[in-house]
Amino acid sequence: MSGTSTVPTAAARRRRLGPVALYVPALVLVALVSVFPIAYALRLSVYRTRALRTVEFVGWDNFVTVLGPDGWADIARTFVYVLASLVLAVPLGLALAVLLNKQVRFLRVFRVVILLPWVVSQTVAALLWKWLLNGQYGPLHSLFGGDGPLSSPWGSMASLIVVNVWLSYPLATILCLAALQTVPAEQVEASRVDGCTPRQSFFLVVVPAIRSTLLILVIMLTLLYFNMVTLVYTLTGGGPFSGTQVLSLNAFLQSFQFFKIGIGAAYSVVLFALNIVFGVAYIRVLKGKNDG
Amino acid sequence: MADTLTGPSAGTRAKGAAGSVPLAASGGPVRRATRHTGHQGRLRRAGIYLGLLAASGFAILPLLWGLSTSFKPESTVLATPVRWIPEHFTLENYEAVLFHSQIPLNLLNSVIVSVVTVVVTLIIAVPAAYSAARYRFRGKAGLLFFILMTSMVPGIAVLVPLYYLAVQLDIYDTYLVMIIIYSAWQVPTIVWILRGFFESIPVEIEEAGRVDGMSAAGAFLRLVLPLAKPGLGAAAIITFVYVWNDYLIASTFVSDPDLRLISVGLYTYLTQYGTVWGQLTAAVMVTLLPMIIAFVVFERRLVSGLSAGASKG
Repeated sequence: MSGTSTVPTAAARRRRLGPVALYVPALVLVALVSVFPIAYALRLSVYRTRALRTVEFVGWDNFVTVLGPDGWADIARTFVYVLASLVLAVPLGLALAVLLNKQVRFLRVFRVVILLPWVVSQTVAALLWKWLLNGQYGPLHSLFGGDGPLSSPWGSMASLIVVNVWLSYPLATILCLAALQTVPAEQVEASRVDGCTPRQSFFLVVVPAIRSTLLILVIMLTLLYFNMVTLVYTLTGGGPFSGTQVLSLNAFLQSFQFFKIGIGAAYSVVLFALNIVFGVAYIRVLKGKNDG
Repeated sequence: MADTLTGPSAGTRAKGAAGSVPLAASGGPVRRATRHTGHQGRLRRAGIYLGLLAASGFAILPLLWGLSTSFKPESTVLATPVRWIPEHFTLENYEAVLFHSQIPLNLLNSVIVSVVTVVVTLIIAVPAAYSAARYRFRGKAGLLFFILMTSMVPGIAVLVPLYYLAVQLDIYDTYLVMIIIYSAWQVPTIVWILRGFFESIPVEIEEAGRVDGMSAAGAFLRLVLPLAKPGLGAAAIITFVYVWNDYLIASTFVSDPDLRLISVGLYTYLTQYGTVWGQLTAAVMVTLLPMIIAFVVFERRLVSGLSAGASKG
């Protein structure tokens, strides 16, 4: 920009390359830890493996296994898990953001308590809920009867979704709260003057105003849910009867429990492909917002 | 002022203290109160508090049950009928966890790895974020896109290759390998968040510094960085919580019990003979305490940091 001479001096060159050089450490790090390994995983996914070694090239064979009947069951469960969690977590997060955006007593206390699960790890959430839902000694056992919700495939999936929602709605609330505070109060008041009911002004004025935040939120949560391993592993381990076996968990189990590295890699690649789809959508939304 | 008046008066109304209503309603020029006077407004207020209370209950229920169990002697943990308030209150679980287990060591490991990761992440992310916020050059969009895309690589997908790499480079079973991986996975997010913060600082501040004879680096270090403190704080907390809470990396890249992080340490209470719930819940509470304190102290900053990362394009 400021370079005036046509012959680049050392100083001018430094000025031009300086901004790029600032990226170098970040680039090297992510290339080493994310890009190179994912390339390696792509390679592993088309090989038969023994221990950590590739044995022979098998082409699509691993993917045939992953996308076979069992794999489709995993994928179907993954979508049930992701969609049900989204349908519950996003409206819940938004509703709580609306409530926390009002002038109420003890607002700060409510906010801290309601957002508290945000700092709880997947491990701890899984352990605490496992204990809460314990079929014999948990405080809720009379509510469910029998051996508790974690003993049946559907009960397990339902529990898993509830715990996941518990763990992730605070993020939704935080982002929605921040977005709600950018909606001008005059706009809402104007709509009320024009005869909207509170509900109408919420859905016709507020929701459209925070639409891009909601979209980003949905994509962020989708990525988080698709890749979730620890929560599922600790709460249900995929059981009972594979009732909660999702793609991400199977990628982990195949690689580290059954040591079928090639199959595990194929699962990971399918997961990665799904991530790319949602990742590109995420960046589109961000860009669209910038232009608009 | 008007709003702070509305809150308490409406609050007491919702709780049924009807005596104060006429006073508060007539006492000030309160917009909201005049709109929601009467029966409907009161119902509305009650609904808001009911919603907030229900959500608080949902949020805190598993934590309270864990807390309750952690104060029970092991012999009464598995007793029926279930008691929320321990019959015999004891600290023996905490004593076992704090003085006769690996948990303190695990905590120390977690602190070391988290803090170093935060420092490394910031040192690497700050220059990139600053460059992204201030300079334009050809290919910048592509470069940013590339860095952001790497956060779409699922951790689970690169676990095996990274394991292989760590063994080859002879850094398996070290703090170093965890710190490298955690930093690499946090850098994209943190670049994104910090970029938003740097963009919100007026460029005139640096220009003034340059006019006064500072170098570009000097202006950045002495003028911009102090102003970006809230952003750096938010980034540090987000990274810290991430490392503190991770299980996948910690369990895959370390097998030496002396290097275990806290999230992995908790699993020692899940034995093949059953779970030692009393001590496990005590250990969980010990793990949660620093996070909860950090959260209460930095809650505002955290909220602004998270939302900056999500909305600044």
